[in-house]
Amino acid sequence: MTDRSLDPVFASVLECRLKAITEEMGLTLLRTTRSPILNEARDFVTGLYGPAGEILAQSEYIPILAFALQPACRAVIDAFDGDVHPGDVFLHNDVFSGGNQNNDVAVFRPVFVDGRVVAWAATKGHQADIGGAQAGGYNPRATEVWQEALRIPPLRIIARGIVQRDVWTLLFANVRLPIVEEDIRAQIGGTVVGERGVAELYQRHGAETVERHIEYLFDAGEKRMRAELARIPEGTWVGESTVFYDGHHEGSRHLIRVTIETRGGEIRLDYTGTDPQTVGFVNAPYASSFSAILLTLLMLLDPDLPHNEGVLRPIHVHIPPGCILNAGFPAATTFGNTLAGPHSDAIFRALAPAVPERVSAGWNRMLGMTVTGMDPHRGRRYVDILFLALKGGSGALAGCDGYDHIGLINTAGGLLSQDYEMLEVHTPHRLLRHEYQPDSAGAGRWRGGLGVGTELEIDGDEVTGIVFGDGVDEEARAFGLLGGHPGSLNRIEVRTPAGEVVVPRSKDVIAIPRGSVFRQTAGGGGGYGDPRERVPGLVAADARDGLISVEAARREYGVWIDPGTLAVDEARTAALRRRQEPA
Amino acid sequence: MAYRIGVDVGGTFTDFLLRRDEGPPRAAKTPSTPADLSEGVLAGLGELAAAEGKELGLFLGEVKLIVHGTTVTTNAVLTGEVARVGLLTTRGFRDALAMRRGIREAQYDNRYTAPTPLVPRWLRLPVTERVEVSGAVRTPLDQADLDAALTRLSEAGVEAVAICFLHAWANSAHEVIAESRALAALPGAYVSRSSALLPQIRFNERVSTTVLNAAVGPVLSRYLDRLTARLGAAGFRGVLLLMQSNGGVAAPTVARAAAASTLLSGPAAAPTAGLAYAAPHGVRDFLTVDMGGTSFDVCLVRDGAAAMTAEGRIARYPFGLPALAIHTIGAGGGSIGWLDDGDLLRMGPKSAGATPGPACYGRGGTLPTCTDADLLLGSLSAERFLGGRLRLDAAAARRAVETIARPLGRSVEAAAAGMLQVIDASMAAGVRHVTVERGHDPREFLLVVGGGAGPIHAAGIAAELGLTRILVPRNSSIFCAAGLLLSDLRHDLVRTYVTPFEQADRDRLRGMVRALAADGRAALQADGVAGSQASLSFACDVRYLGQYHELPVSWLPDEAAEGDLSGVAKRFHEGHDRLYGYALPDTPLELVNVRAVALGLTEKPSLPEVRPGTAALASQGSRRVWAAEERGYLEMPVHDGERLGAGARLRGPVVVELDTTTVIVPPAWRLETDRHGSFLLERV
Repeated sequence: MTDRSLDPVFASVLECRLKAITEEMGLTLLRTTRSPILNEARDFVTGLYGPAGEILAQSEYIPILAFALQPACRAVIDAFDGDVHPGDVFLHNDVFSGGNQNNDVAVFRPVFVDGRVVAWAATKGHQADIGGAQAGGYNPRATEVWQEALRIPPLRIIARGIVQRDVWTLLFANVRLPIVEEDIRAQIGGTVVGERGVAELYQRHGAETVERHIEYLFDAGEKRMRAELARIPEGTWVGESTVFYDGHHEGSRHLIRVTIETRGGEIRLDYTGTDPQTVGFVNAPYASSFSAILLTLLMLLDPDLPHNEGVLRPIHVHIPPGCILNAGFPAATTFGNTLAGPHSDAIFRALAPAVPERVSAGWNRMLGMTVTGMDPHRGRRYVDILFLALKGGSGALAGCDGYDHIGLINTAGGLLSQDYEMLEVHTPHRLLRHEYQPDSAGAGRWRGGLGVGTELEIDGDEVTGIVFGDGVDEEARAFGLLGGHPGSLNRIEVRTPAGEVVVPRSKDVIAIPRGSVFRQTAGGGGGYGDPRERVPGLVAADARDGLISVEAARREYGVWIDPGTLAVDEARTAALRRRQEPA
Repeated sequence: MAYRIGVDVGGTFTDFLLRRDEGPPRAAKTPSTPADLSEGVLAGLGELAAAEGKELGLFLGEVKLIVHGTTVTTNAVLTGEVARVGLLTTRGFRDALAMRRGIREAQYDNRYTAPTPLVPRWLRLPVTERVEVSGAVRTPLDQADLDAALTRLSEAGVEAVAICFLHAWANSAHEVIAESRALAALPGAYVSRSSALLPQIRFNERVSTTVLNAAVGPVLSRYLDRLTARLGAAGFRGVLLLMQSNGGVAAPTVARAAAASTLLSGPAAAPTAGLAYAAPHGVRDFLTVDMGGTSFDVCLVRDGAAAMTAEGRIARYPFGLPALAIHTIGAGGGSIGWLDDGDLLRMGPKSAGATPGPACYGRGGTLPTCTDADLLLGSLSAERFLGGRLRLDAAAARRAVETIARPLGRSVEAAAAGMLQVIDASMAAGVRHVTVERGHDPREFLLVVGGGAGPIHAAGIAAELGLTRILVPRNSSIFCAAGLLLSDLRHDLVRTYVTPFEQADRDRLRGMVRALAADGRAALQADGVAGSQASLSFACDVRYLGQYHELPVSWLPDEAAEGDLSGVAKRFHEGHDRLYGYALPDTPLELVNVRAVALGLTEKPSLPEVRPGTAALASQGSRRVWAAEERGYLEMPVHDGERLGAGARLRGPVVVELDTTTVIVPPAWRLETDRHGSFLLERV
């Protein structure tokens, strides 16, 4: 017999099984939840956590949720320390005790083996409504949490297998849609699947063996993370970025400042110097900011790193309480996940001198509109988040153009545009155009991802548009890197039947008369490297495809393209590029 | 003598199974010839002729049927060697093909690029026209615009034209005009029209499928031209049929018109083969697994029907034609073992492929593969591999596995055992994907095992999942070729009608059903299928009002003829409950699509039988083999599987050697040979 005290092969198999349990929990949610935000947009995460909240394994479908469950798990453990029993179930959404967003409600179930808690099975999903002043939760006018949502601090909803009927009723009496109650039931069902899987593992292999190998997996994760971090040169790096408009003060600007120290296979991120929280909802809770940090770092490192406790060990974060990325009670914070855009900009900028071959130029910052109203053709109320209109381009990297029409960095291509034909079945919207936006990509040796132009006619009654986002101010373009140019701006306009053109602010609520035409351009990503080093043939290919005008090719890239043949004029290009050479 | 031949062209090997009116089947395997795959087909037919002791022309004259499974279109898409296509589409929407709804499959990998669209933007030409979701024309087709676009495509020298307009499923008039103009303007071009190929709502899937069809149409046509010319010249006068992604076969003319229907046809014959092999055991619920050199395919069959999907993907392009829901993972005999930065052992998805192949093939491979581990663990015999035609090099395998054993601080054998455990766990995860994740308990299914490497790993996979029954057909390594000869002709038809159930117009439904039935019967008639051999079935795609995904529900012929949806509603609630764990009987239902399947039942050879016999004569000594569950080596008796007669019983631990595969029967299992020579393994 081989020595089983520490068996790396068993550890590999254990890792595979833990991951499989979280995937099975995820599939249970996909099958049993009813809101399209959960089963279509997949805005949820499932996970298994240790007795002290250590991440054992997770399955997330949207990156911003990747590390947003653990802080809530720790809050539940702290609140009920010593008072946790088999059959208990806890709920949580409170952004001031580990929640990342009010609408993201978490469910926790302790897993007992031989009378002690060995793990927590957890699910967290974005609910279609969670009370507050505005249906759906996005309230650009909110100045405190109660105008956004019902707060759920760690809450025992099932005690020793008995549903706390009065608590349950109180909770859902404060939520608009009955579908939310069903979706929470589905999430509770998901934790049962997790509980069963973990209990089976313990029975099959014994607690002692499983726990020793979980520790081994953490060590292996840490080792991989340290090896990855050690590939970043040691030093101290500073990056800044600006958030525009708090929804209350026209022209307001808010600084994010991060100081990153890389040393000895560890990384420290310190946000001292970041501006204080705003009066409106443009604030992030700590859990949301922490998740944004992780998703940005994972994009700079090996994308296959496991998501467990070990990988967090060499990462140290300090976000001063009361700043825009760690807002204090009772701030409004629903814009917090969207701050991942400017937040990741600051990290990319800081690390650009250290690892220029790994960072990307800026991603387009999201500007989105949710539409609610009456569908006169089907006689029912409808809600539509115009996903297809808001997805801009990602930033370019060394050796790689940005991704076209990918959308906000916190979903990184996990959020799908609606199908055109199904959109017209589900809403009274008639699409007129949805195409790549020419000249939107930031120029560079590697160009940014393309933005998209959308036009649709709104044939609904009593329609309200809730606008939230960024990227409409000149400096909020997706930034270029190492000589690359910025991407194009976001813009929304609504042309009413009376011929009036309404351009909402980046956080706004507008009334939309029936028959209005909505137009949006989602901007392109930033370019990487000097555009005059881009292979002229690639510029000509974009010109032939109508993605760049011959004027822009000349101006931005110094490539002379014959407007008739769309071929590169080599001699004129060489001359042009010489002339554009900086003195 | 009348022969029937199943020919399955794979990436590495072309498999043949020959059946005759009387007598045992004959199998053959020849290397595939990627430059012109029809060459390898003819080479194999030549081998079969020789084995029958006949000259090729004479032999082919006696072949009445060749059923052909080919990956020629699949490979064309995977390698990008497809036709130059132009796309005509509604003005304002020319980029849907490239956007793919804006998905990036690898979310943390910023270097992950989108697949190159099969039509570049400058050949995706917008045409002014617009049909509403109701089917009403909002903007008439601008003929001058259309003609100008066709002129541009003609000047660009496209070989194929794809036509996909918004809501053409509701009103195909504009597409039909565009199609006839295209045929006139570009004589000889392959024209693919969305409303003919897939008249179904969802623009994203429809445009992608229509373009895929145009991209492979000329490729398949050229291949069939070459193949039929070669076969004809060599003396073949029989019927040629082609395997499709939906698990049925089609005449070459049908396949040419809908070339994309062959795109996922590679493993599509497996469920049909499984059905035949499982039938003697009274089993209609089973899983087929096929473990080859680089990939592992799993398909679920419940109550005799293979799981289907209309949401397939090929090379990350959406594919909307109905196809068997086959789940593929990168695990096979050639899968390479490696250590990650945290020193955890991983297997695959990288594979040593056919060249250089596993280290033990002695063709220059130095990386440790699954096959190398199998050899070191005694599961494979160095002398008997491929019937002794390839002698395996154990020293080379040892050197390769040593490269991961050393950093792990383990013996070579322990490292090899670890490789086995990891790859079995990942294949088991693949099986979970088609069972647990779709609401089925895998323990209720028989595991039917194909592929050369499958029977070595079957018991390990079963142990991971708690399965207790395994069936290994004697010709497991040419599993799909056997299935080809057992498949029916099949046409899938669809029409979209989006309506809440209570507002559904019965006359309209009756009309749709009549039209689908007429189309299905016409298609079978064109195949030459007699009325008595034709069978039609119907189904509806249904969802709860407001849901985004539909569920297919069967629609009984009598109900369909009456346009009566009440039975569909009942079955939808039941099916939803079974699949998703809940039903909402008071929530209104919405119809999305009506489907029909037209089957032309083919005449099928019955499975050959083997003579009864005991295990006594098959004994071939013993060797030391790793037993995974016991975590140790055991001396296992070896039996010659070719000599195990019907009814022969063995008790594990035992090894059964065949020319093209090895069956490992661990201690907790017993084996019995059934009357067709398949091996049934059961956990004691």
